[in-house]
Amino acid sequence: MTDQTHPRPGPGRALLSQDRVAGLTLIAISGFALWASSDLATGTLRFIGPGMMPKLLAALVGVTGVILLVLSFLKPGDAMPAIPLRGPVCVLAGILAFALTVQTVGFAVAAPLLALLAGLADKDMRWGELLGFAAFMTVGCILVFKVGLNLPIPVLIIPGIIQY
Amino acid sequence: MDLMSNLALGFQTAMSLQNLGLAFIGCLVGTLIGILPGVGPIATITMLLPITFGIDPVGALIMLAGIYYGAQYGGSTSAILVNIPGEAGSVVTALDGHAMAKKGRAGAALGISAIGSFIAGCIATVVIAALAVPLTDLALRFGPTDYFALMVMGLVFAVVLAHGSVLKAVAMILLGILLSTIGSDLETGQARMTFGSLHLADGIDFAVLAMGIFGFAEVLRNLEGGEQRDVIKGTMGPLLPTRDEMKRSIAPILRGTGLGSVLGMLPGNGAVLAPFASYTLEKKLSKRPQDFGKGAIEAVAGPESANNAGAQTSFIPLLTLGIPPNAVMAIMVGAMMIQGIVPGPQVMTESPTLFWGMIASMWIGNLMLLVINLPMVGMWVRLLKVPYRLLFPAILIFSCIGIYSIDNNPMDVVFTGGFAIAGYLLIKMGFEPAPLLLGFVLGHLIEENLRRAMLLSRGELSTFAENPLSLILLMVSAGLLVLSALPTLRAKRDEVFVED
Repeated sequence: MTDQTHPRPGPGRALLSQDRVAGLTLIAISGFALWASSDLATGTLRFIGPGMMPKLLAALVGVTGVILLVLSFLKPGDAMPAIPLRGPVCVLAGILAFALTVQTVGFAVAAPLLALLAGLADKDMRWGELLGFAAFMTVGCILVFKVGLNLPIPVLIIPGIIQY
Repeated sequence: MDLMSNLALGFQTAMSLQNLGLAFIGCLVGTLIGILPGVGPIATITMLLPITFGIDPVGALIMLAGIYYGAQYGGSTSAILVNIPGEAGSVVTALDGHAMAKKGRAGAALGISAIGSFIAGCIATVVIAALAVPLTDLALRFGPTDYFALMVMGLVFAVVLAHGSVLKAVAMILLGILLSTIGSDLETGQARMTFGSLHLADGIDFAVLAMGIFGFAEVLRNLEGGEQRDVIKGTMGPLLPTRDEMKRSIAPILRGTGLGSVLGMLPGNGAVLAPFASYTLEKKLSKRPQDFGKGAIEAVAGPESANNAGAQTSFIPLLTLGIPPNAVMAIMVGAMMIQGIVPGPQVMTESPTLFWGMIASMWIGNLMLLVINLPMVGMWVRLLKVPYRLLFPAILIFSCIGIYSIDNNPMDVVFTGGFAIAGYLLIKMGFEPAPLLLGFVLGHLIEENLRRAMLLSRGELSTFAENPLSLILLMVSAGLLVLSALPTLRAKRDEVFVED
């Protein structure tokens, strides 16, 4: 589960140790879930209400978070690894662009958008190659999924002109 | 009906021209996608789910089973050829398989893994067929208390089998169950934690969650690593192992099959342990344990067979009890539901053609993998040489089409992106996504059965202790949890996983 490029940060006394961040995150999730489920009836053990499981689980998540947090102060742990931004940002942008365009403009626009935006995530990317590959993938997928398998995915929508 | 007539019915169904064709296509595309580095069976099945939509249920399930075995096999191929295991199960294969490949014996490593998987598949098919009827009978006698206890045991297994911190694994399971409670309440229909979103009212779709925290998060992780693929260069060597290699492999194959068949049946993803257990066993039994890790064929034959046998017998809890033992089987639940089949003991009695047809097709799928994959190895090698900077946009496009097509809803794609980031951050914090997914999968069933059990017992928690079956299951779970927290045993467990 460790990444190969950065050597795993050794045990240290980093302020943000991995376990401390993990514990705080669990506590935050727990708090949020407790708030979100506060309007649900808990019920009794005999007639368990809709709120019992969410509240119970949220509380238990919080308990594990507190234990992790406390333990992180008692013994040194691994430091939180660095989180690069480029990969997640580009990939997420590509996915969102796909989601926004697939039903409004169609797959013929959404797929190359996804390939190009996400493709930026890799430092080794080359424009010419990526453009060609995006075009190839788009045509290939249209042939396989729309023509071949007849999935109801819109390919190109230009209002009043094309609706395929 | 006895075993033979059941299997005959199955083969009759699976051997129809249409179903043979579907099994063939399933195996082929399953391998094609599964071979992509870092794409495991879960992502493969999710991506390919939409291609089964237009087919009748029997055909669709046969095709899905084919995709599953293809994905498994593709994972081993990329493990051997590029040393990038697509999933936990082929981590072990990568050790000696890749070492063999470096010595110019890639062909033999692929050959023995195909032969071993085929033998394991044949035996596991018979095991499933033989156990299906008695286990289904047993399952029909299970009450909600027993079901609840059984699932608790499954989750405890998942904790014990997870790598790293027990506490973090517990947290992930709880978080998974918590996520499963989002959506309409089972009994009152009241919207729970949906924030007024209609999209959330049906709950989170399993495929969306799995694709996000497994498939996409894996892409994000691979992007960090840059190009590190070490595709085998030069000669593949002959595909058929030599007579001596065959002789050395046959016992490991049989032992691996036995181990895999038993472990695969356990709830809570016991199958993941099978290749590790087989590797350790073969190393202990071997006359030349020093060769292990340097390209010992026994270390490919045994774990590969164990992996395949486990992959297959993990269908048993799903088909007989309706409980998916791991995330791949949970995807299968989703696929079956889309076809209008609710997995559980009733499937066998209500639609015997479907049930036995699927079991027979498992065997056929294994045979096809042997026949179609070995001659195509050259093509797979070429595919593996495509650089990751082009592979990952392709993986993303296939995945987005797959996710969108499940419900023709772009919101699903957005949620998948969100889960991808969440999964990536969780990995960074040292959490493992597998237990979260299992908790999510079993969440509904756990809540439903707990509520039913409490209603029947009038709110008395002692019902779990008064019921002998649930008492045993819960005691086993508690024992396992205590054992796994003991320092000496923890060291042993880590040793098993850190065998590389």
